[in-house]
Amino acid sequence: MPIMTYSKAINQALAEEMTRDENVILYGQDVAAWGGIFKVTDGLYQQFGEDRVFDSPISENVMVGAGVGAAIMGLRPVVELQFADFLLTAGDEVFFKAGMWRFMHGGAFKVPLVIRAPSGGSGFGPEHSACPEAFVMHAPGLLCAVPSTPADAKGLLKEAIRLDNPVVYCEHKLLYAMRGEVPEGDYTVPFGKAVVRREGEAVTIVAWQDMLRRSLAAAERLSKEGIEVEIVDPRTLNPFDRETIIESVKKTGACIVVEEAYRTLGVGAEIGAMLLEQALPYLDKPFKRLAIPDVPLPTSQHLVNAIVPSEDDIYKAVKDLVS
Amino acid sequence: MDHTQMLDIFTTAVLVRRFETRIVQMAMAGELPGSLHAGAGQEIGQIAAISALSRDDYILYGHRGLAYMIARGTSLTSILADIAGKEGATSRGKGGVMHVVDVPNGILGESGTLGGGFVMSVGVGMALKRRKKNQAVVYFFGDGTSNRGTFHESLNWAAVQKLPCIYFCENNGYAVSVPTSRSTAVADISARAAGYGVPGVLVDGNDPAAVHEVMHTAVARARAGHGPTLIEAKVTRLQGHYVADQQTYRPDAELVQKTKDPLPKLQQTLMDAGVLTDAQVAHIEADAQRHIDEAVAAVRAAPLLATEVALQDLYA
Repeated sequence: MPIMTYSKAINQALAEEMTRDENVILYGQDVAAWGGIFKVTDGLYQQFGEDRVFDSPISENVMVGAGVGAAIMGLRPVVELQFADFLLTAGDEVFFKAGMWRFMHGGAFKVPLVIRAPSGGSGFGPEHSACPEAFVMHAPGLLCAVPSTPADAKGLLKEAIRLDNPVVYCEHKLLYAMRGEVPEGDYTVPFGKAVVRREGEAVTIVAWQDMLRRSLAAAERLSKEGIEVEIVDPRTLNPFDRETIIESVKKTGACIVVEEAYRTLGVGAEIGAMLLEQALPYLDKPFKRLAIPDVPLPTSQHLVNAIVPSEDDIYKAVKDLVS
Repeated sequence: MDHTQMLDIFTTAVLVRRFETRIVQMAMAGELPGSLHAGAGQEIGQIAAISALSRDDYILYGHRGLAYMIARGTSLTSILADIAGKEGATSRGKGGVMHVVDVPNGILGESGTLGGGFVMSVGVGMALKRRKKNQAVVYFFGDGTSNRGTFHESLNWAAVQKLPCIYFCENNGYAVSVPTSRSTAVADISARAAGYGVPGVLVDGNDPAAVHEVMHTAVARARAGHGPTLIEAKVTRLQGHYVADQQTYRPDAELVQKTKDPLPKLQQTLMDAGVLTDAQVAHIEADAQRHIDEAVAAVRAAPLLATEVALQDLYA
């Protein structure tokens, strides 16, 4: 199986879907000749031409809103927002137009729109660093993918483009350079199916993207001390695979959510509430969240490092819980 | 514009005016919610603009009145069902009068937040341009809505891409209660076209022939691939912003209602030109009344939408 970066896997998914379906178009700031600020769309303009791959003005509202308008007319637009934070810049268009146009018109339309949202990657400052998926998960009508490996980056994006509902596809900036095996050809990953990345009995960790990577590293250390944690990667947050988490908690009796986002009402809060409602008898230990304290992300890296959950934080949290 | 087209516009305007009047009466009586933003006074411009479109063109409409849908052929019964939340509602109780949708008649719906139609129209235009079937899309909006950022982002990008989009502004001088002069830095919205390198055209919205003419030119420009046009029709809002609006902010409201109604004026113009008789007027009014009565009866007899519908239609 070919080895490639997460970034290249996204690029390949776009190229394959654009080849397969001429209704797929791609636009965003700097995505055409320059290949995007993170170079994810490199070469696609040259391959597919300016009719299919084009730059947009710095106008997030119309970028997303036009995506909805094009989608209801049968195109399958992929819109690159330069930073995931800009989902809120285009809040009306993301949450009302994309999320609600079908609903508020009684199901008369399909909205096959994909919004690519480069997220996380601390150090870009308060408005360019967020993992805003909790906002998306909270809003009705928007699907949300959070790929954590190059293979999932490809499979979830190909699936997102084929779905008839709007998808916010969060691609983590710190994972762009991650390398891994990526299946060739028509490889898709279904939405709503979590995957157990590591099996264990001590505690269930739910994490995705860079927090998954840190959790896996912490798990290696813990394993050397005889503590085996189970790690669940949800892959998509809407639809959300509650069953896989509950099944894991039945086995471990404990759950920690590690999240690169504000603590209050984050995805972890929803998972905690879900466990209270549906799995309380199986929890032997208090539910725990590791997240960013409720402040915006600073720019200076050492300040970022002080507040984003680290491998060390995860290691200690597990040790505290199991001891 | 020939006399037949002129008569068609008048006939539709009479139907729209009477239908809206009936809806307001039913709302005042408590039978319907008072959610309608009446379009009285603006119907002629709206209908005349739509008369310049082909059947396979599209519209995204504004919130003021029902002329847009009726002119495109949406049934009175389905519009009334939307307002009443009854079976037969086009948006199945989700959107009420704000989101009447009728894709076969080219009606792509409405954005509840003002100016959402701008951004939607750009995407529709992108799709139409790629279809290469010479179709166009019109977005109707008010003077107040031209102050949304979406106006500026959309006109700019539509112009850059030379999209087949037409922006039809109905300037009635008020954004809810605020006169245009207190909210808007230019007297004529059409002057804003210069900022986007597109034609800005000012027209008397009460003159159906003039509106049809400027729309015809704009549509031809769109089909030829030359890009958008911004049209501003000066119109009169005869009533309040919504059904129960007393218009205390508008000292001349009563005088405007008595003297500025363009519908009797159009009737007189057509009669003076010898293309409309008293007998025809009576026939047009009776016909409208019959259609309205049928729609009211049908919707009164229709069941309320089942409550489980609230959970449907979110995902495809």
